Amino acid sequence: MSSKETTHFGFREVDKEQKATLVADVFHSVAGRYDLMNDLMSGGIHRIWKRFTIELSGVRKGNTVLDIAGGTGDLAARFSRLVGSTGRVVLADINESMLQVGRDKLLDQGQQGTIEYVQADAQQLPFPDNSFDCITIAFGLRNVTDINLALRSMLNALKPGGRLLVLEFSKPQNALLSKAYDSYSFHVLPIMGRIVANDSDSYQYLAESIRKHPDQNTLRDMMENAGFCQCTYHNMTGGIVALHRGLKP
Amino acid sequence: MPSLPDPTLHTAALAALEVATNRALTLSPGGPQILAPFDDHVFAFHCTAPTLDCYLLPSHEGLRLTGVYDGQITTSLTGTASDFIDLAQAEDTAATLVNGGLSMEGNSAPLIELQRVLSALEVDWEAPLVDTLGDVAGHQIAQLLRQAFSWSQLAASSLVRQLGEFVHEEARLSPPRLEIEDFYRDIHELGLRVDRLESRTQRLRQRLQKLRS
Ligand SMILES: C[S@@+](CC[C@H](N)C(=O)[O-])C[C@H]1O[C@@H](n2cnc3c(N)ncnc32)[C@H](O)[C@@H]1O
Repeated sequence: MSSKETTHFGFREVDKEQKATLVADVFHSVAGRYDLMNDLMSGGIHRIWKRFTIELSGVRKGNTVLDIAGGTGDLAARFSRLVGSTGRVVLADINESMLQVGRDKLLDQGQQGTIEYVQADAQQLPFPDNSFDCITIAFGLRNVTDINLALRSMLNALKPGGRLLVLEFSKPQNALLSKAYDSYSFHVLPIMGRIVANDSDSYQYLAESIRKHPDQNTLRDMMENAGFCQCTYHNMTGGIVALHRGLKP
Repeated sequence: MPSLPDPTLHTAALAALEVATNRALTLSPGGPQILAPFDDHVFAFHCTAPTLDCYLLPSHEGLRLTGVYDGQITTSLTGTASDFIDLAQAEDTAATLVNGGLSMEGNSAPLIELQRVLSALEVDWEAPLVDTLGDVAGHQIAQLLRQAFSWSQLAASSLVRQLGEFVHEEARLSPPRLEIEDFYRDIHELGLRVDRLESRTQRLRQRLQKLRS
């Protein structure tokens, strides 16, 4: 028997080393159609979830903000307006294709200059300790191979008193909603993925990875164990997503 | 930090109001610049019954509305919905601020000035609210705002009732059962339609291939 450590990739068990490659394939493959799929999949409501994330971030003029797993840059664009010319926003993602689509989009919107683009792994952030007032990771944490490692790495990169915000799919709080949601994500999503992005496997993975992600309380405990304090979460849309927040002591 | 009820609807409503106000600002003769005197000011409204917080962050770029804010506040008002409605309907805002049921912290002058500037705008509250909240709730809130900003003499009690209904909706933790059943049926129907669409695409593709070969 192999002694290699395994982890989950959607519902499959895979070698730990393999997961990162598989996740990378998913996002290389969906990058160009990512924004469109996001709007279609959530009926546009991901914009409201992100808006609340910005509110809870407390980010203001002059702050330094990291949006890791930032993909096509929705949060980074909003942060860059809030921090102004005295602040700094870093949009980071492990995936070149997503970062490229994000950069092109933000340049189109005239955001050049204020946002830095960095290819980085959330588990090993290439920033000095105590660098950021706020770190956000939106719909990214479930794709990371070792969540605990990523939480610790983000803790180090935060300044004392700085905030981590994790926006992620979570566990619906109501059995019927949960059933409807399952049917939606396992039946409708992959087919929509096939038609719009010509890629049903990737969206099948997304649906599976959501079910494998730790639920609200588990994630809060993980944040506390990693060293964050005052960890709380807000359920949104009945718990389909949750926004967790923790502070660096 | 107290746990808020599901903030999705509250956030969506504020987003809609923000869009409506900023659209009106852009169309106004002075543009968003008319809010420049309020740069760096934050106004807080804490409604205690029903419980609802709202923060106004005006700047030369426009108005930002949030449900959460934890920095320095210029002026904050706390009171019940009917206290706020009294203020909105008052002939003399300054006097009502001092003598009305609201408790105020901070400086009242910038708040009175902001209210003067905003009430001169012609805001189309309805379209964006109906877009986000659906016909019924959107229309009700739009009406409420029109009343508040046109100093109509409508009985305050009816406004409170409307607001109460809205907040009741807002405070639900999860949608009621019937709504979910509808949703489930919609999803099922959508699934079937997507299946049909898919087999049609498949057939078209095959036909296309035949034509090509
Ligand atoms: C679903 S997208 C979310 C994008 C964006 N934050 C949003 O909310 O629209 C997930 C992103 O996580 C990135 N990602 C996956 N594993 C990562 C890792 N270990 N470190 C950094 N980013 C990662 C992917 O490349 C992808 O862009």
